Amino acid sequence: MLQILIYGAVSSAIYAMLAVGFTLIFGVARILNLAHGSFYALGAYAAYVLTSLLKIPLFLAAPLAVLLVAGFGVVMERFLVRPLRQSQLAVLMITLAVSLAVEQALFLIFGSEYRNVPSFVAEKMSIGGVDISGQRLLALVAGVLVLLTLWLFIQRTRLGAAILAVSQDPEAAQYMGIPTNRIFSIVIAISAGTAALAGVLVSPFLTVQPSMGLLPMVKAFAIVIVGGLGSIPGSIIASLILGYSETIVAYLISTSWTELVSLVAVVITLMIRPSGILGRRAAF
Amino acid sequence: MRRISLIDIAGAIVLVAILALAPMFVSSNYLTGVLTVCAIYGIWASSWDFMSGLTGRENFGHSLFIGAGAYTAGFLATIWSTNPWLSLPTAVGVAIAFSLLVGFPTLRLRGPYFALAMLSASAILQRLCLIFWEYTGGEEGLYGLDPLIRSPLHYYWFVLAVLVITVIVLTLLAQSHWGLLLRAIRGDEATCQAAGINVTFYKIASLMISAGFAGLGGALYAHYQLQVSPPLFSVVVSITVIIMVYVGGIGSIYGAAVAAILLTLLTEMLRGFGEYRLWIYTLTLMLILFFLPNGLIAPLWRRLTERLR
Repeated sequence: MLQILIYGAVSSAIYAMLAVGFTLIFGVARILNLAHGSFYALGAYAAYVLTSLLKIPLFLAAPLAVLLVAGFGVVMERFLVRPLRQSQLAVLMITLAVSLAVEQALFLIFGSEYRNVPSFVAEKMSIGGVDISGQRLLALVAGVLVLLTLWLFIQRTRLGAAILAVSQDPEAAQYMGIPTNRIFSIVIAISAGTAALAGVLVSPFLTVQPSMGLLPMVKAFAIVIVGGLGSIPGSIIASLILGYSETIVAYLISTSWTELVSLVAVVITLMIRPSGILGRRAAF
Repeated sequence: MRRISLIDIAGAIVLVAILALAPMFVSSNYLTGVLTVCAIYGIWASSWDFMSGLTGRENFGHSLFIGAGAYTAGFLATIWSTNPWLSLPTAVGVAIAFSLLVGFPTLRLRGPYFALAMLSASAILQRLCLIFWEYTGGEEGLYGLDPLIRSPLHYYWFVLAVLVITVIVLTLLAQSHWGLLLRAIRGDEATCQAAGINVTFYKIASLMISAGFAGLGGALYAHYQLQVSPPLFSVVVSITVIIMVYVGGIGSIYGAAVAAILLTLLTEMLRGFGEYRLWIYTLTLMLILFFLPNGLIAPLWRRLTERLR
């Protein structure tokens, strides 16, 4: 029981980090970013290159990896997505092309073997008789901290207010003197950064290989649909629902069924309440 | 969409003749096989274009119908071992049933929701295939299908004929009153509804037609490969089809079919580049998105025929 509680919290936190960035960039810039999974994979690989090949200590390598991926996100948005923003299908296609290109680039450079990234915390801990690796706990703590920081940033700062304004009405925000294009760059940087951080944090205990980004992206999709496209609190609630129901399914039935949970949740949500739990705009 | 002119018909006849006669000049089973796959992709791409291109509802899970048709053929052959020719109509029926199952809840949705819902539905089916591996053969899939026609060359001609019929039927439908309504729905759904058009009926019906042809293509593919496996349901298949339609020019149907043939040939030619092949493919896609936002085939043909007139 306690085991389900703890492991469910860890996967919820990781999902939330992925989903929040995904929903943020949709809510603010209306970009449905199919390359979100590649941010996650790039984060993990950046951590691998910096620690294993360049021998940079991990506490330096992790923020560096996050910054690199955030920069990659900004460049992608500026030069590939922005010129095509008029057509929704074109945006879907170009972000998909980016994700395919990243996956193949990783495959060509690193091959398909699994790579190892060192853990931040090597010790195993025990909470109420449940053994858990320190790295998983760290992922949980970091996830909660990131979400809290993001929440405070959006609610309390001037820049956060500008982001909210753009998400409500980009045109009106532009007329009020908010530089919408710069806001888009900032938002994609945050989005790519949180996804990369999730990648860095899970890489020690999950497999690092070129196609690792696909499944997390499908999960992020699912969470964002269930929580409501564009709503940050909604995606956090949905992360908890999905993280826990997957853990429960893994314990009660089998791990091979876990991937179905999110997909079934998507279909049910779309049938009963297409705008999601806390979605603002109606889907139909 | 403009009316079909004599030049269009002449161009189509020349193209089909070249395709049909190509294996006679370079007689190799390899080329015949590649061309068969080309024609099957043509069926998939034009069927995608009929529903999504006309109504503007991008279907990111076309592989759902393709896989459903292929697996129907697989089950019929391996479990019930019926006459292989029965699998074509059955596959169409099963694919249409799936389109009803998925279409009713999802087609009411707007914008990216339909795309995502279809994507998830096809992913669910792929997972189900792996979970119920006792029946579906798991990763390996089903083996031992009978070919519909023994001679590869004759089978190629049969598939090519199916492609031609598909394109003709879909083009005629798209040119009819029906197609006009579908394009009106793409333009402004609310206005259509206000004008008393049963929007949901038209969308579901067009999805059924699209799914039926995709399922037919799936069954043809299964009888060509003599085997079906879960990757048929994968997102990559759907995406490949969408890229083909994009290159062909969305909403033109014939463009989708021609682009499918050209891109399949291109992929085959790039096989020499080994691991770099997919990279070149992706970069080509990016260049097309940037420099040819309306696609390549249909706009090119339009410009050519205007010169000739």
